[in-house]
Order: sequence, then C-alpha cells, then structure tokens
Amino acid sequence: MNKSLLAMVITLVVVFAVVAIGVYVIDPNLEFPMDRASVPLRLLFVAIGLLIAFAVYYSTKENSAWEVGTRQVVWMAIGAALYAIFSFVFNGTVFFVPSVSQVALRPAIAIPMFFGYAFGPVVGFFTGAVGNMFGDALTGFGLSPQWSIGNGLIGFISGLWMLFKNRRQSINTILWVSGVLAALAVVLFFMNRDVINGLYFEDTQPVSLFAGLTIVIGFLLVLGVRFFFGSNENVAAAVTWSMLGNILGLLFAALSDIWINGFTLAATIVGQFLPAAGPNLIFAAILVPLLVVAYSAVQRQSGR
Amino acid sequence: MLVAWRYRKRENSLIQKFDPRAWLIFYACFLFATLAFWDVRFLLPLWLLAMFVLLTSGVTWREIRRPFLFMTWFVLFFAFLTFLTGRGGSEHYAEEHLIRQFRAPFSIFGWVPTLNITVERAFFAVSQMVRVSSLVIMTVLIPYSLDPAVYGITFKGLGMPDKFAYAMDLTMRFVPTFGRDFQLTMDAQRARGYELEKIRGGLIEQVRKMGPIFVPVTIHAIIASEDIIDAMDLRAFGVGPRTWMDVLERDFKDRLLIWFGIAILAGSILLQLFGYGNFWIPEALIRWAGG
Repeated sequence: MNKSLLAMVITLVVVFAVVAIGVYVIDPNLEFPMDRASVPLRLLFVAIGLLIAFAVYYSTKENSAWEVGTRQVVWMAIGAALYAIFSFVFNGTVFFVPSVSQVALRPAIAIPMFFGYAFGPVVGFFTGAVGNMFGDALTGFGLSPQWSIGNGLIGFISGLWMLFKNRRQSINTILWVSGVLAALAVVLFFMNRDVINGLYFEDTQPVSLFAGLTIVIGFLLVLGVRFFFGSNENVAAAVTWSMLGNILGLLFAALSDIWINGFTLAATIVGQFLPAAGPNLIFAAILVPLLVVAYSAVQRQSGR
Repeated sequence: MLVAWRYRKRENSLIQKFDPRAWLIFYACFLFATLAFWDVRFLLPLWLLAMFVLLTSGVTWREIRRPFLFMTWFVLFFAFLTFLTGRGGSEHYAEEHLIRQFRAPFSIFGWVPTLNITVERAFFAVSQMVRVSSLVIMTVLIPYSLDPAVYGITFKGLGMPDKFAYAMDLTMRFVPTFGRDFQLTMDAQRARGYELEKIRGGLIEQVRKMGPIFVPVTIHAIIASEDIIDAMDLRAFGVGPRTWMDVLERDFKDRLLIWFGIAILAGSILLQLFGYGNFWIPEALIRWAGG
C-alpha cells in the first residue's frame, strides 16, 4: 500500500475513532444505532466488497487472468466510460425506456457483463464500479458506493471463467448455482407477496407477479441461449457467467441494505433484488451475446 | 478523435486555487455528509455551501448554462415524480396524510396504478430537490475546474497505483468522447429509420431493439482503443514506475480544506448517530392536512 493511500485510510480510521469517542463522551449509555449509521456502514460494505474481490485474487494470484497491462488499462477506461454514458442515457434522464408492469429496464448493465467476460475480472470490476460511480454522478443520483461495488462484482464475476481450466464444465456448474439462487429468491417472493417494489417509481405498490418472475424469465432465456448456442462456447460462457455475476453482485448490494437502510431480508430480496436482477438477466441473455458475436468478428478481422 | 471537457484556467476561481487532490477529498466528504441527511434544515446549509462554491468558481453562466439547465430540469422532474409517487419516501415515514387519491379503473398483471398525493410526499420531494441539487452543483463543477492534464497525477496522489490512476484519467477523458459517439450513432441510426424513442413490443423485443445502439458504440470504442494501446505501448507504458509531467504540491490552505471537509463529514456522522437529520416535516403542514 503506498504512502498516500495509507494516509487516507489512517485518516478515515482516526475520523471514525474520534466520532466513536465523541459519541461515548456525549452519551456513554448509547447503544450503537445501526439504523442511524448509514455513512460508516456504506464505507464498511465498500471495504467488504473490495475484500471479497481481493480474496478471490489472492487465492488465485498466479493465474494470468489478473495481469494488468496496457490493454487492460485502456479497456478499463473504455468500459467505465461506456457504462457511465449508457447509464446516463438510459437510466431515466435522456430516454425513458418503457417499463412493463413495474419492470424498469436498465440496459447499460450489459457493459460490465461483457467487459468482464471479454477482458477479465479486473477490467470487469473497474468497469462496473467506476462506471456506476460516474454514471450516478452524471445523472445526479448522488452516491451509493455499496451499489457501485455490487456493480463492480457483476463485471468481476463475469470474468472469473478465466480461472477455470474446463470452461464447458464451469458453465454447467454456474447454471445450477444460478438456478438454485433464482429459485430461492422466487420462493421468498411467493412467501412475501405484500413487499413493496423499492425500485419502481410507485413504491407503495407490492412487487407485481411479472416483476417477481422476471428472474425466472431471464434464467430461462439464459438457459435457452446456452443450449441454442451450444456449439459457440463463447456465447454460452458469456451469458451464464454474466448471469451469476448479476445475481451475486446485486445480492451483495441488496443484502448490504439490511444493515444500511434497516430493510428486512424479504424487503431487500423481493423489493430490491428481484426487480433489478430479473430484467438484468434479460439483458445478459440478449445484449451480451450480440456484443460477444460482434467482438469475435472484430478479433477475427484484426487478428488481436 | 477525443472530445474534451470545457476546462479553462480561471484567475478568479476559488476552487482552482486549491490542490486538485484536496478539492476531490473535500468533494467526497461533502457527498457523504449530504447523504447522511433528509432533513431540509440540515440540507440547506450544505446547499448554501454548494452555491458558495458555484458562485466563487469563476465558471460563467454562458459556459455552464447547458448542463446546468439540463440538470435543473432533471432535478425538478424527479422531484415532481417523487411528489406524485412518493418514490423512496416509504423508508423515511410510516404515516401519510392524504390530500387526494387517484385510482386507475384497470389493472396490469394484478397491479392497479394508484396516485396518492400526501403531505409527506410533497415535503419529501422538497427535501430530495435540495439534497440532489447540492450534489449536482458540486459535481457539475468538476469537469469545468479540474485540469485534464492533472487527472492522472491527482488520482495517483490520492493513493491509486499508477495503472489504475491512469485508467481513471482515461475514463474521465473518454466520457465526453463516447457521449459524442453515442449521439453520432443515434443520428446515423435515425437516418436509417431507427427511433429509440419509439421502441415498441414486448419486454424481450424492446431489449433486442437496443442492439443497433449498443453494439456499434461499444465495438467502435474497442476498435478505436487499439490506436491508444499502440501509442501507450510505444511509449513503454507500464514497463517501469511511471513519472508524471506535472507535480502537485499541497500547502496550508489545501490542508485546511481537507480538514474542513473531514469536519463536515465527522459532524454529519455524529449528528446522524444521535438521530438528527432524519426526514422532517413542519408541524403546520401536517395540521393543514388534518393530521
């Protein structure tokens, strides 16, 4: 860790320590109020997200997937800038992509998925995390750093296929894991039909049946693409790993809101995770294959 | 071809008198401090601080008019949507005092569109407007006041490794370029009869129809990156520790700005921990609604 970064981390720790001491001096009997500590908790979940990514890197650091050369630096920048621009354009500022029964469409998510798959986990993580941060800044949505890290994890996990020797086998394992996670989320949805949709403009309405089931539709689409493009392993791997990245990345961000915003497990999974992760899977199944096929053609032409 | 942000050196700019690292640290502290509050009484001082920074930035109305009007429209539009729908507010208030309700006579997949206009929604929209406009004002100023030549060294100075600092530098430079490329692609597709504003069909069909925008913009960016990669490789990028053309120096006023930012952040966290700064509505408004 270099000197400047160390100084910043130490300053942050000192600030939180001073705040903690201040709280104790003012009111020694005050229990730590989790529901009133959103700023420190946001930063804590950023640290946890980064630690998760670092742990994966550290346990496989000999793998070539972690190399960061000139190409990766430029791709990181391109991915993050594209994600920021598409987020700005499609997430409700310039174009309102029509919503169907409470399902708001955010097609920009295909960018970290594709960049993660095509250029590796480091590029994917940077694309998702920095792109989301820039996109939020451009749109004036403020800052949700734990959701930026969640977006980073989407790109990161999309690129983890590079760590596996047998890609075909990894695809099948990923399908099973994603299927189980999607099924659990849907079971939770049917057990909690009265949870409001936290991502839709009218957030006093319960999550609609269609919004709750989009994750199943998305999963079936990914499954269809995986078998339809059975001979094209690139497309099959891209959609399945993007699906897992989307599910785990958004799950991380949604679960963090249990502590940050005081949501219940049902409220965050049904009200936040499902309406976001479901439509994203549809983008993983349609836009990511289009990008993979187009990029393969470019690679064949340029020989790079 | 790269398109640049509209930065220029301004003699009378308060922001530009500070080290960019100090300015970005202050900006981050300001952002987090603003996020701690929903109470207008706490948000207003932060909004006034943002206005002070704007008015002393030396950025002229002529320069900033377009993005500023766009952002203002955006803030007002979303505040209006919040007023109509109460979006995000349910986390901050349990009870609502109804002024008027409109209910659609139909349902879509079991969902009945309903419009409730309440005191809480109206005041939450006001709080949101103050909160978001503070963030927008501070954010819009960054590209106008931060010299693109020092992006890289600034991020390096904030503790990032060379390669990531350079990636951040490139990201900030690419954003306006890809914005222009997106517009060009949109115009080209419109000339072929494709209109993004009029995408119709089911959910899957809508997604599929975004391909003619997503694929060319993304693939063009990747193809164009080869020239940048070659140029960087020819200059032996990443072979050894990087040196930077510009040197940033922090002096007393920069440290003062950093500690001012940290004080705002620490103060906001402290206030939040003691239960201050949550969503607040004037009692008179609740009484007016019959509460």
